[in-house]
Amino acid sequence: MGNTAGKEARPRSNTYSSTSSTLNSYDINRRNTIFGNVNDYKKSRKQEERDRQREDHYSKLIVKYDQTVDGGYLAPFGTYKSNLDFNVDIVRELIIQRKLAPFYTPLQDFDDDWTEDELLKILSQLTLHSIEIAYDDEEIDDIDDHKIHKSSNFYKRQEQKMKLKLLMEKIKSLQKDEENKFFDIKLEGKDDNLPSKDLLLKLYKNPIECPICFLYYPNNLNLSRCCLQPICTECFVQIKRLDPHPPHDQQEQSQGNELPHTLISEPSNCPYCAMNDFGVIFEKDLDIKTGISGIKPGTYHNDLIHDPTQDNINEIKDDLKNLNIESSEVFSSSPSSSPLKASPIKSPTPASQKEESLREKRRRRSSIPANSPKVITIDQIRPDWELKLASAKSKLARKSAAASAIHASNLIINPSTDLAEYDTRRRNSNSNTRFQTIEDRMIEEALRLSIIDEEERVRRQGTPQSESSNNT
Amino acid sequence: MAALPKRIIKETERLISDPVPGITAYPDEANLRAFTVTMNGPDSSPYEKGIFDLELYLPDDYPMCPPKVRFLTKIYHPNIDKLGRICLDVLKDNWSPALQIRTILLSIQALLASPNPDDPLANDVADDWKKDEPKAIEVAKEWTAKYAKAKE
Repeated sequence: MGNTAGKEARPRSNTYSSTSSTLNSYDINRRNTIFGNVNDYKKSRKQEERDRQREDHYSKLIVKYDQTVDGGYLAPFGTYKSNLDFNVDIVRELIIQRKLAPFYTPLQDFDDDWTEDELLKILSQLTLHSIEIAYDDEEIDDIDDHKIHKSSNFYKRQEQKMKLKLLMEKIKSLQKDEENKFFDIKLEGKDDNLPSKDLLLKLYKNPIECPICFLYYPNNLNLSRCCLQPICTECFVQIKRLDPHPPHDQQEQSQGNELPHTLISEPSNCPYCAMNDFGVIFEKDLDIKTGISGIKPGTYHNDLIHDPTQDNINEIKDDLKNLNIESSEVFSSSPSSSPLKASPIKSPTPASQKEESLREKRRRRSSIPANSPKVITIDQIRPDWELKLASAKSKLARKSAAASAIHASNLIINPSTDLAEYDTRRRNSNSNTRFQTIEDRMIEEALRLSIIDEEERVRRQGTPQSESSNNT
Repeated sequence: MAALPKRIIKETERLISDPVPGITAYPDEANLRAFTVTMNGPDSSPYEKGIFDLELYLPDDYPMCPPKVRFLTKIYHPNIDKLGRICLDVLKDNWSPALQIRTILLSIQALLASPNPDDPLANDVADDWKKDEPKAIEVAKEWTAKYAKAKE
């Protein structure tokens, strides 16, 4: 593969270096006359745009106490500190539309023996975000740090890392501000954006444990479309395709070189039953509609029958009908979910009974196809996978083109000239014409490749969708 | 070190309070993401009566990434190489965050019971296995008796 060619080429590039001062300036001049500063300008503009998008992305990961949906939030609590590259706008929209469970603040522990007062006390101490876990100042180890020779990319990356670190600091302090505001308002206790006690108890009195993060959430979670297992939204947004990779099994060992067009990226399987095309459905198990496009969380009362919740019930019933489920059965089997009967807080449904009703519902329902409008797939919240696959392919293509170029230039020298002869020629500065032509050819090849690359990139940017789909 | 995620704490507690028969796993005091594991060779396999030491490490991305597991005891097995690395789909691309330390260790134990020479990691062992299985099993037994002895 290119690897061996690279190794052959390396010692030679050292011998070049004796004359490299002239060659390098020559090289740089030629490059500049072709691409000029216009390109630099474009690059910095693009970089700015990318920085701005990143800032926007991270600022939407800040949990805000006054942006709630059914007692949850629009941004994750911070259980995970990496893999946060899901599309925040899409996820927020899905939560507001009640197609995905909101990001609830998890309980680290739960005990059935807790009294309501104990539970409320614990709930009142919950923060919006686990700042310390999510934004600890861990240095990410960079292999480049250990290299003696640092490429120009290294400095660029250093700069990027610095920028990211600053951005993280900023986001962290913004989250802290939000946290302080939340704390002050809790002390005052007047803001209707804070959840009422009834709401908190309703949500957290019978929590369930997410099987992936082992944290306790209101029994209002997403269910896998295939095997109807619960998954909290924070874990759901973590699940994504593997990075583009060559296909397994068939020709793995038969040929060492990875052909760029064979790279694949497959949708994730269900973490529970390994069914392909993992997706979730969210059907509210709780008859709450607070926060965005609902009532103020502070005005929610369990014993009050107000229209929004009534509407909501009908909505759920409709939804259930669409799924061919006898809504009456579902509701009669789980008395706690009907507000009319819900003799509040005092008599919590025994967990076993609740589980039974859940199980009953599950038994009655079969798996739902991935393309159903109710199903949210992992590709929906990370729509950029096609672009990623295309760029991985072109990167690999570039690498192998560069490798073959180096390989080709090796072949030009090796067969005809033995090393000793080559060495004397090199020392004799007058007769380095042959040497010059090789260098020329290599530069030409490099220029050609980068021009192709640039064209490709511009084309891809123009029509990202069609381009990537062509490649797949 | 960063705070330990609740999931790792709970898994560790449950591993200790409700251990898997034939397997022990304890976290290192210095690093709670690193576990010292012992595994009994499954009955009626060439590894029967052997006690194997393994190390298990939970990377930062766990449970979104699989744990890293390696045999420390020398073992003659087509899917385990000289360095103790294990060729097992669930430790690689087929990892799922719903799997746990417990289930992964059980999978490894199952791999001991049913070697798969058609998907080898140790090519020489796999070749022996395919050429002359009874002899390979004999060697595996010898190695088990020699290296996987119980410690006092």
